[in-house]
Amino acid sequence: MPRPAKKTLPYLLLAPSLIVLFSLVIYPMGFALVNSFYFWNLQTSPAPMFFNGLANYQMVFTTTPFVEALRNTVLLSVVGTFCQFWLGMGIALVLYSNLRGMSVVRAVLIMPVAVAPIVVGFLFRYLFAPEGGLLTWLFRTAGLPVPPQGMLGSSSTALLSIGMADTWQWTPFFAIVLYAGLLTIPPEIIDAANADGANNRHMVWYIFLPMVKPVAAFLIMIRFMQLFNIFDLVYVLTSGGPGTASRTLSFNLFQEGLVNYNIGLTAAMTWIIVIIVTIIINVYIMIVFRGQEW
Amino acid sequence: MRTTLRWKAFVYLMTALVLIVFVGPIIWFVMLAFRSPSDTYSVPPTFIFKPTIESFYVTFVNPGNNLLQLRNSLIVSTGATLLSMPFSVAAAYSLSRFRMRGKKFIMTWYISQLLAPPIVFVIPYFILMTWIGWAGTYQSMIVLLQTITIPFSVWLLKSFMDELPVELEEAAQVDGANRWQAFSLVTLRLAVPGIIVTSIFAFVFSWNNVLFPLVLSKQATATLPVGAISFFASTGIYWNQIAATAVVAMLPPMVIFLALGRYVVRGLTFGAIKG
Repeated sequence: MPRPAKKTLPYLLLAPSLIVLFSLVIYPMGFALVNSFYFWNLQTSPAPMFFNGLANYQMVFTTTPFVEALRNTVLLSVVGTFCQFWLGMGIALVLYSNLRGMSVVRAVLIMPVAVAPIVVGFLFRYLFAPEGGLLTWLFRTAGLPVPPQGMLGSSSTALLSIGMADTWQWTPFFAIVLYAGLLTIPPEIIDAANADGANNRHMVWYIFLPMVKPVAAFLIMIRFMQLFNIFDLVYVLTSGGPGTASRTLSFNLFQEGLVNYNIGLTAAMTWIIVIIVTIIINVYIMIVFRGQEW
Repeated sequence: MRTTLRWKAFVYLMTALVLIVFVGPIIWFVMLAFRSPSDTYSVPPTFIFKPTIESFYVTFVNPGNNLLQLRNSLIVSTGATLLSMPFSVAAAYSLSRFRMRGKKFIMTWYISQLLAPPIVFVIPYFILMTWIGWAGTYQSMIVLLQTITIPFSVWLLKSFMDELPVELEEAAQVDGANRWQAFSLVTLRLAVPGIIVTSIFAFVFSWNNVLFPLVLSKQATATLPVGAISFFASTGIYWNQIAATAVVAMLPPMVIFLALGRYVVRGLTFGAIKG
């Protein structure tokens, strides 16, 4: 085997995918960077109209509900991920009980995860219908106060409803993966804990949770970012409404770019979002992959 | 864990609750597709209604707009999967088999593409595709989907290739095979199941993607989810037809995930967690 080939071959094999991916990513970033300094409304002009300095960056905060969208996005991501993790952990422990039939339950639980988020949106819009929606009816029957305009139509419950739909879809994901994590715990450790007289709560806190920590960290990273980028559910369920009550960052960008066609403003917003997201992703990567060997 | 009778009863009760909560709504939605428009809602909700396949008839037979969209979904998802595989197989092999500088950076760079917000891509590409005359074409969607399928497939494929014994490849080289032969005749062959599983997942992710087709397709190239959205008419929502379309759209991923069984955990975590 010739030596020189060995040095370049790994990079030669990587190059095609890196080049394709890098080109696909760099173009929109460059496009956004250049156009963020121009005024450009696509409805009135097919090309950038005039140099605008930093005005677009300022207008992101003054003419769009950016701060509200950021607040909604952070709230949704933090609370959503938190609920999904703990509910998923609970279900994983139920599956871990190893009683008869649990393998079937585990297999069936994957169903919500397979559904396209847009379809989950349709499903929950139907469930949340103000009159005759199954969930609306259940909540009212249980004595919970559902606003007359429905969960999705009220600014106090719209974001909550989006979170519920997402939690419905992704809790089973946490459950199944965490269950897979629980199965990798060596039986000796569990036997030892049992021999030491650990009760169920001790088991969960001192054995199960620490042992699934790497799995949990990876899951939380993926889900937090997916929630941070949420678009499909918002689009179908509320379109960011009523008003701007359930707008998220992605939907705010969509609204400015593809409804109002303010390309310059959207470009500036793109960069603000990219900077925020890059910081979060890198913090996660530092935490999750610390000490990882590839 | 305790296995007293009361404990067992409690666990089964929780299981029943979990199944009702997470599977019930899917069944409820499938039922919607078989309801007639007058049975869409009732207070209180009822399981009893006269089932009809009228919605499926309207959406897939006459006038059957969704038949075309079903075909488009197949074209776009298959195209995106096939296009990404050669790139991903080469990269995954490289990352799995060689020591190299910057491997950690490359691996995390791929995954950060999967974690980035796809919305930031669509507006620049929406404009670019118009400029280069690709607006509304299949290839515009297929190319853009590579931002998802390539990084995902590299990660998942690498995890499969990591499990294939290096010794076989080395043995082939000792027997006189060159590096390429060792790769194509040994590792690539052994990696076929992994490549198939990865392709299936890449297909499902493309199939379930709605943002790219929503912005980049035109009426003739719209995919199934975009078709379902179009039933949000200004005159009212055609719930039964949305459900009929959505049921057909969710059937392939669901069957695939149920069939893949133990690979699902691995696929959904990009190979990072072995199920």
